[in-house]
Amino acid sequence: MKRMWLMVFFLVGSLALAQETLKIGVITSITGRFAEFGAQQQAGMAVALAEVNAAGGINGKPVEILLEDDTSNVNAALAAAEKLLRSDVPIVLGAYSSSITNPLGQYFTRENFPFLVFTSSDDAITKPGSEWVFRLNQPASAYAEVLFDIFDSLNANNGGGLQNIALIHGNGNFETAVSDAALRLADERGYNIVERESYDRGVTDFRPVLNRFKASNPDVVFMVSYAEDSVGIMRQAKEVGLNAKIFAGGAAGFALPNFLEGAGDAADYVITATAWTKDVSYPGAENLYEKLKEQLGGKEPAYHAAQGYAGIIAAVDALRRAEDLSPASVQAALASTNLPDTVYGPIRFASENGYQNQNPIKMIAQQVQSGEFITVFPEAAAVGEIIFPTPIWNAR
Amino acid sequence: MDILTTIIQNLANGLLIGGVYALIGVGLSLIFGVMRVINFAHGDFVVIGMYSALVIYRQLSLDPYLSLLIALPLGFLLGLVLERIILSPLVDAPEDSTLLATLGLALILQNTLLLIFGAEPNSLYVSYATATIKLGPITLSLIQLIAGAVILVVIIGLYLFLTRSEAGKAVRATAQNRLGAELIGINTLAIHSLVFGFGMVLAIAAGIILIPQLFATPAITGPVFTLKAFVVTVLGGLGNIWGAIGGGLLLGVVEVLGASYISNSYRDAYGLVAFLLVLLLRPEGLFGKTVKRV
Repeated sequence: MKRMWLMVFFLVGSLALAQETLKIGVITSITGRFAEFGAQQQAGMAVALAEVNAAGGINGKPVEILLEDDTSNVNAALAAAEKLLRSDVPIVLGAYSSSITNPLGQYFTRENFPFLVFTSSDDAITKPGSEWVFRLNQPASAYAEVLFDIFDSLNANNGGGLQNIALIHGNGNFETAVSDAALRLADERGYNIVERESYDRGVTDFRPVLNRFKASNPDVVFMVSYAEDSVGIMRQAKEVGLNAKIFAGGAAGFALPNFLEGAGDAADYVITATAWTKDVSYPGAENLYEKLKEQLGGKEPAYHAAQGYAGIIAAVDALRRAEDLSPASVQAALASTNLPDTVYGPIRFASENGYQNQNPIKMIAQQVQSGEFITVFPEAAAVGEIIFPTPIWNAR
Repeated sequence: MDILTTIIQNLANGLLIGGVYALIGVGLSLIFGVMRVINFAHGDFVVIGMYSALVIYRQLSLDPYLSLLIALPLGFLLGLVLERIILSPLVDAPEDSTLLATLGLALILQNTLLLIFGAEPNSLYVSYATATIKLGPITLSLIQLIAGAVILVVIIGLYLFLTRSEAGKAVRATAQNRLGAELIGINTLAIHSLVFGFGMVLAIAAGIILIPQLFATPAITGPVFTLKAFVVTVLGGLGNIWGAIGGGLLLGVVEVLGASYISNSYRDAYGLVAFLLVLLLRPEGLFGKTVKRV
């Protein structure tokens, strides 16, 4: 009898052990001005978590997220990082804004602790980066790169004749970073920047600039703008009759559903860089889109949600392969990540072109065709052809 | 386009944009002239106009220009109520108390809008948003022309009210000398409410005619227009309605010419440079003294 109780004791004990969860640390903005993006990320992470746990978790242990709010503020983020370090998580993921993620990366590097970035795009996070900081999403310069890849490809295959570029961008950090990358790429690949104009956020009259562009007759109008300004630029381009062979939007506003709604038929033919789309031909994209939408209560998922999903998938994969849960083992497992076909695209961490532990994934480009976003580039992800050249306004 | 056409095109654009600045500035100037209140919430009144057009458009599918008919009377009432609650208790307080009161009002309005509509920019798309009218080589935006027409109507209406009606004369009397006006039997507190209501109406009208061409955000848009309104009124002379109109048109032209011929990056700076120059060289405003005060 006594032995039987002992057996029961051990059985229950082992069951309890099996139920012990594995926690992944996450820092992002639940409150404050980045809360909307944080909500998108959380939706993606929740969907990924449900899938991972339905498939048996990590080596039999269910996975849980230990979520810390950075209140959209870097000091709160650093406090959260300290708290997570003391709570025995094997890895931390974060955050939304580059201005928060960058210092977090430096903190985790000092503490020799693996940190996985899945949304912030400032180049400096992984360039030069550190051996403890890994990033699965594209850096800011990739936004410009994919568009120049398209120009090159059109010049090579479609007799594009693209040479002169007129550049207009907001004067925020992100927009300036993308347009600096555009300047560098134009120089490297032999394009001429014939005009460069920046503007303050909140200004919505672009007619003087667009009239000036019109006079210099560019092949490409390259725009880096947020939501409200992207709409203003295209509406007014139509109004002043500024024509170009390509209207290229180096994110972020041109990829939003808001842009289609706001710019109406003036949005047509704009090609824009984005990190993820629902019609991208990576396996399971459409399915993930539906799940994300459900998780968000019917709200339109942004690519940040897909990045949240990918973040958990990559973290879980590394933890599965890690020899133990020590920082060094998790770091080694992350470094040897090779997920060739996730729904976010291939994930591996390479150290090349001055980057360290940066996923060399390309951006996707989509073109607005008859009021819909159609993924057109790269070929591996495309579902439609680029319509080129852009018809002039009078002929539409 | 040859140089002359470009200049005319830019002047036309500048005047059309300046018209909107003028409309906003006139409201601010009117409130200052009569009540001696510097209204820091003025830009946020413009934003309230934008959101009211959005709500009316989404709920009733009413064209934004038709929504003027609903929003303006409501705005007038809102102005009356706000003045009664916030400003009339401060009527004899020093000027900085009313200044702080309107600053507080601005914060409350911004955050209320943020709570209701969220931080993302909102706009509405009307089918004629990108329509243009060609006058020879000059292209003019249809919505800007409509805006110009609405502004003309509103300003002529205001002029007739101030010069022809009994209430308008009472407003001018209050502006000239509040004590004197009281002595001849004018209820100046009621006049204050009336004037604040009018200021609100002018700002809301500006918001509504702007919304088809640009976006509304709860916290960013308001301060931008408050600043523009200050520049406009200082250019023209505070409390001087005709000066505000001239100042608005001038600011629009200066901005567009600067953006076209110097650099767009410093667009806001051109207006502020003009603002500083006027403060330094002609503090009574470009049109001060030479034009009859309200």
